[in-house]
Amino acid sequence: MASPHPLQPDLCSDHGGEHPTIWDLPNIPLGLKQEWLNLETRRHFLGRGAKALAWAGLASILGRSLPRALANESSSAPLLPHFAPKAKRAIYLFMAGAPSQFETWDYKPGLSSMFNQDLPESVRGGQQLTGMTASQTRFPVAPSFYKFAQHGQAGRWCSELFPYTAKVSDELCVIKSLHTEAINHEPAILSITTGNMFPGKPSVGAWLSYGLGAINDELPTFVVMISKMPIQVNVQALSNRLWSSGFLSPEHAAVALRSGSNPVLHLKDPPGVDRSVRRAMIDGVNDLNHQLFDRVGDPEINARISQYEMAFRMQTSVPELTNFSDEPSSTWDLYGPKAKEPGTFAYNCLMARRLAERGVRFSQVFLRSWDQHNNLPTNIKILAEDSDRPTQGLIADLKRRGMLDDTLVIWGGEFGRTVYSQGALKPQDYGRDHHPRCFSMWLAGGGVKPGISYGETDDFSYNIAKDPVHIRDLHATMLHQFGFDHERLTHKFQGLEQKLTGVLPARVIRDILL
Amino acid sequence: MISYSKFLTLSAALALVAISPQLGAEPATFATRVAPVLEKNCTGCHGENKQKGGLRLDTFAHVMRGSDDRVVVKAGDFSTSELHRRIILPASDEDVMPSDGKPLLSSADIALLEKWIAAGAPATEPFDAPALARLPITSSAAPDYRPRLAAATALAQKLGVRLVPRSIVPTDGLILRTASAPTQCTDAVLAQLAPVADLIVEAELARTKITDAGLASLALCPNLQILDLTQTAVTAQGLGALHLLKNLGVLNLTNTAADKTTAASLKNLPSLHRLWLFGTPADPVIAKPAAAVVK
Ligand code: HEC
Repeated sequence: MASPHPLQPDLCSDHGGEHPTIWDLPNIPLGLKQEWLNLETRRHFLGRGAKALAWAGLASILGRSLPRALANESSSAPLLPHFAPKAKRAIYLFMAGAPSQFETWDYKPGLSSMFNQDLPESVRGGQQLTGMTASQTRFPVAPSFYKFAQHGQAGRWCSELFPYTAKVSDELCVIKSLHTEAINHEPAILSITTGNMFPGKPSVGAWLSYGLGAINDELPTFVVMISKMPIQVNVQALSNRLWSSGFLSPEHAAVALRSGSNPVLHLKDPPGVDRSVRRAMIDGVNDLNHQLFDRVGDPEINARISQYEMAFRMQTSVPELTNFSDEPSSTWDLYGPKAKEPGTFAYNCLMARRLAERGVRFSQVFLRSWDQHNNLPTNIKILAEDSDRPTQGLIADLKRRGMLDDTLVIWGGEFGRTVYSQGALKPQDYGRDHHPRCFSMWLAGGGVKPGISYGETDDFSYNIAKDPVHIRDLHATMLHQFGFDHERLTHKFQGLEQKLTGVLPARVIRDILL
Repeated sequence: MISYSKFLTLSAALALVAISPQLGAEPATFATRVAPVLEKNCTGCHGENKQKGGLRLDTFAHVMRGSDDRVVVKAGDFSTSELHRRIILPASDEDVMPSDGKPLLSSADIALLEKWIAAGAPATEPFDAPALARLPITSSAAPDYRPRLAAATALAQKLGVRLVPRSIVPTDGLILRTASAPTQCTDAVLAQLAPVADLIVEAELARTKITDAGLASLALCPNLQILDLTQTAVTAQGLGALHLLKNLGVLNLTNTAADKTTAASLKNLPSLHRLWLFGTPADPVIAKPAAAVVK
């Protein structure tokens, strides 16, 4: 196998760049950056809508404690579920870049005898290829380099890449028949996070915030965490369009927690400014905003007021949240030693549990670099080793604390990968291209049947053989667990009753529900 | 020991039963209602391909024939039917069906099979099946909150807690919510919620200042189903007060002082089916169905 290298050139053709913030720029004194941001922020006050604040790390949220039916200002109050929910919160472990189903959850024993044979044309059926493999003359079958064994009462076939997750295999419901339209990362990630491949739609977490409101007013309803990568290959650009509130009120967008000692930027009072001064300043700003609201009546102004309030409240709630010293020693046995290192996937999994415990509705943890067009066996192992133990730790921890019943855990990427090798095929080295026609994900807890599989793919995991699940169906099912009929969780925008599942038919996958 | 039939009341209450579209005008018969349940849950092991225990359940004739050893459906009397005995056992019983940790039948499905057997296990005649299109609970979790919601909300607000409807269904009850300021929720606050006690179906009291004295107030919430006391100062002794809560199904005592005597304090809770004791002196009896703990 090729030796792992922490930085490898991007092979994948469709990665946009990261958007650096001013904090990422080198050689600028910290004080100057702060000054720049202050000026920029002041300008926003006068000029722009609240959305502009999101980039500064304070996209926000607010406490909306009264159901809409009772509240005076109707727009920001939450709706109520259509029926009693099973799940109160969700933790979405997003494997950005799209992990291969072959080495993870869609076991295809038949392929091992087909090494390097050509994929029958009848299977491929004229499928669109990406620019990366369209010029390949052969499509040689690449069996999984990793072995599978049966685990748990249900006897599920689990990959040796996930020895820890295999231990909680009986808690999982693996769906092998997900499919999507998008063949490139950006539209695919947007589709699965917002239900639409074009930017501008609210993310799933924003819809839940809109529908359910906060359990805890001191913390955001929707939090995003982007994990440090154990290896950087074909890294996906992630940006707040994946967790935006779209046409919903900006308070429903996620707050992105950063790794490091300052999880929320600008949360600390500047040196020399104590909390009462800060309070007075926020009151003053809110006062101005109230005056502006009285004059122009733009609801975004109220959203902005609540953002400042949220930021102020988070000054006290976040330090407690991020202080892990109250964790029992068994926590570290579960999540592994890396959980002590801020920003790692393990740390973020533990943080997600702490957020869930404190009432955060939706935490989305991103782990990138699953886009393995080449060197797949080496690179997938590095990512699996980074994420396997904390993933199992999270499930086991939620379970022992009595939280798994009402916390929906979701694991998966944005599409699948091809059965054939991209580039040269060697027994121990191959790559896989993007494949939207089928991919695997798993759900756990939150009223989903444990220990089952749903959907089947053909012998090449190329086409779906049984029970297809479009990502719209996944979204409808998620909303259902939170008590919402996806047809009725709507928001009027541009003359339409917009909804997460869009206009094409979507179905709740009732067979996987308890 | 927690009896299974009581357990069902609560699981029915909590279950989000999938509402099958095909239910409706069609009369209930073996083919329209019973066969689909067996097909979904049993025929994988008792069908054409496998006949575990020498039993097939994929046609009416096979069901009535029974296994190699015995008749499993006694027409007219489900209580002596082996098939019925197997499906009402707790998950921990090794005789339970479906076996191998597969999800157990829903209470609605069990009720359906009971009706069918009680009606004489007819082959084709319709029988009086329970209507499944509605959740049993939706009519009975708590009294209609509508006339009292404004007052309840105002009271909660005054006390620094929240009371929120579980759903738009007015009889789904209210959730007592304290996560924004858990330390403000004290025994005194709980006592003052007495006027709306009957509306509360779920109490989220993790990390609050509740002690045993507060449990006495909770004991007056007759419709309470889910109670989270994580990291509070309650003790096994105080939990005895909860014996009045006939609907309490889920109790979380994580990180409390609950000790070995907890089981005794809780043994009279007829609906309890989930008990969590992580981080207590009673650990490591963790995450077991209550039946297993209380036994
Ligand atoms: C995962 C496989 C599996 C499933 C699913 C399953 N069973 Fe069984 N069943 C068995 C096995 C194995 C036996 C024999 C061992 C025993 O008696 O417990 C058995 C035995 C039985 C027996 C006793 C037969 C006899 O004469 O001793 C009955 C009755 C029964 N099953 C009913 C059901 C019903 C009803 C369902 C669906 C609700 C069901 N089973 C689902 C595996 C299964």
